[in-house]
Amino acid sequence: MSVALRADREGDHATLVPIGSFDLTHATAVTQEVKKAEASLSGSCSVDVDLGQLDRIDGTGAVLLARLLDRLEADGCRASIVEGNNPEAARLIALYRERRAVLPATETRATGALPRIGALVSQLPRKANNAFDFIGRCAIAVPRAAATPSSVDWRSLPRLVQEIGADALPVTSAANLLVGVIIGLLGISQLGRFGAITYVPDLVVVAHFRELGPLVTAIVVAGRSGAGLASEIATMKVSEEIDALRSMGFDPVRWLVLPRCFALAITVPLLTWVGDVLALVGGLAATVVMTDMTPHAYIQATANAITASHLLTGLIKCPFLALAIGLIACGQGLLTSGGAAAVGARTTTAVVLAIFSTIVISAVFTLFFALMGI
Amino acid sequence: MPAPKPHITVEDLRIGWGTRVLLEHTTFQVERGTIFAILGGSGCGKSSLLRHLIGLVQPQAGRIDIDGVGDPSRYEGAPPFGVLFQSGALFSSMTLAENLSLPLTTWTRIRGATARELVHAKLDLVGLGAFAEHLPGEISGGMKKRAGIARALMLEADLLFFDEPSAGLDPISAVELDQLILTLSRDLGITVVIVTHELPSIFLVADNCIVLDKVAKGIVARGDPRKLRDESEIPFVHAFFTRSSYGVSTNPGG
Repeated sequence: MSVALRADREGDHATLVPIGSFDLTHATAVTQEVKKAEASLSGSCSVDVDLGQLDRIDGTGAVLLARLLDRLEADGCRASIVEGNNPEAARLIALYRERRAVLPATETRATGALPRIGALVSQLPRKANNAFDFIGRCAIAVPRAAATPSSVDWRSLPRLVQEIGADALPVTSAANLLVGVIIGLLGISQLGRFGAITYVPDLVVVAHFRELGPLVTAIVVAGRSGAGLASEIATMKVSEEIDALRSMGFDPVRWLVLPRCFALAITVPLLTWVGDVLALVGGLAATVVMTDMTPHAYIQATANAITASHLLTGLIKCPFLALAIGLIACGQGLLTSGGAAAVGARTTTAVVLAIFSTIVISAVFTLFFALMGI
Repeated sequence: MPAPKPHITVEDLRIGWGTRVLLEHTTFQVERGTIFAILGGSGCGKSSLLRHLIGLVQPQAGRIDIDGVGDPSRYEGAPPFGVLFQSGALFSSMTLAENLSLPLTTWTRIRGATARELVHAKLDLVGLGAFAEHLPGEISGGMKKRAGIARALMLEADLLFFDEPSAGLDPISAVELDQLILTLSRDLGITVVIVTHELPSIFLVADNCIVLDKVAKGIVARGDPRKLRDESEIPFVHAFFTRSSYGVSTNPGG
């Protein structure tokens, strides 16, 4: 069905005649017709709308016509509807004209690249302030928790250790085993070129114990438990459970954050230690399968390569990595406000920040050990 | 004999977020043992006022004084008031009994059989004696709210705050909840502050009320809600209590 908006001009006066169906189905055609009519009406002093030839009109058509009349009036033109021909359509258009809210102009959102970068940068001080505020609250919470142990939810600790540690063991073990295989294969291909296959066990020990073991474990834990903790606390926040805790006199940092950080600080070193052992197994398997080295010789060389320094430089990082994961996940959870979408957004942010921070912390430790000659 | 001291005193309060002011110059008192309703349309700042009254948020200006607590945001330890949040806010990983015993075991030395007995007595009080071992996810919305009330009562608070208690409930559950609130107030002498816009609830339970308006950014009427309904000449208040139309313009300037 064709749609048209005819404009009959007689000097300064014009009559608008909508023809056909002004409805949702024909909204595109109606919009074009309205634009055409508006262009042809420029300079008119008064406009009458004759609705007699309208076949059908719904809210969409009425809005488009109502806004056209609003714009004409804003330009100083007198616009009126000839009611007699189609009173129902006239009422509908009049309704949309009456109910139009005149809101103050809203700030247009910055859409260009530079303004968006600027907007992001301008948020940094506030975000940094939030982060330091949260770290400060956690630092204060530790002595207070020591003074009043009942203000910490210690009963949840076994469950948390189970969820963060024991339940994660298969996946961290598998990841570490494969990383051991990868280092072994890399050593065989690169050291083999210099006939130094006998140094593959040393490479696996040094690379994995010092760097990759803690890092791989922490990244897996950050992805797995970081997401779990952040979404758990974020859901508690949006369902008013955190408010309920506070209203009952509990400090959410002491009650929720401390046991989670504590559980992480216990489990991440343990997971790393198990992962170190499995990486040695992976390196052994790769070397024995790909080269002539015997398992006995490999184990012998590995035993010689393992030193307290290699083991401890790796394990000492673990509690720090664990704390970073815990603080970021819980902090993001507590910052949540809004609904389900906010929970998802905070969880994503928590995982990204936790993984990134584990890499940064590892790098800082490596730099420190390198400078100290450890 | 001097007049009894009000349970809650709010003086010249201003609340808002950043530069946006929700309420200002808000002053009112809540008498001990009464049921006090905070009324108003959606978005007028009722729930925000409640969050300030229970100390979750600091006001931009003004003073809140709860008798026996002072500034509610500064108390340490067990709060001398209970709160029922809109959703009940029970801890989803704990059974109802565990939810109720949490404040008890944290803030008192009561343990074991006595604690169990107290928890069951409170659950019986709200009619949930048979559901002690249920998780919040296994009971209905009305039951969650009643369990929330029972939890709020665990520390024998003499002041309870309710955030839209009948929201999302069927009429019968809503009336049952109102009856429970009346019982708590009349029989236990508890001061009750309710944030709501449910007219039947207001007329049934409230002794006194304030009506907030988001255009006026403050209190537009105060007193007995039944009197306000019958006698108020303020158009917004009259419209609110009689559920009549109060201007359909969406233009905030007009």
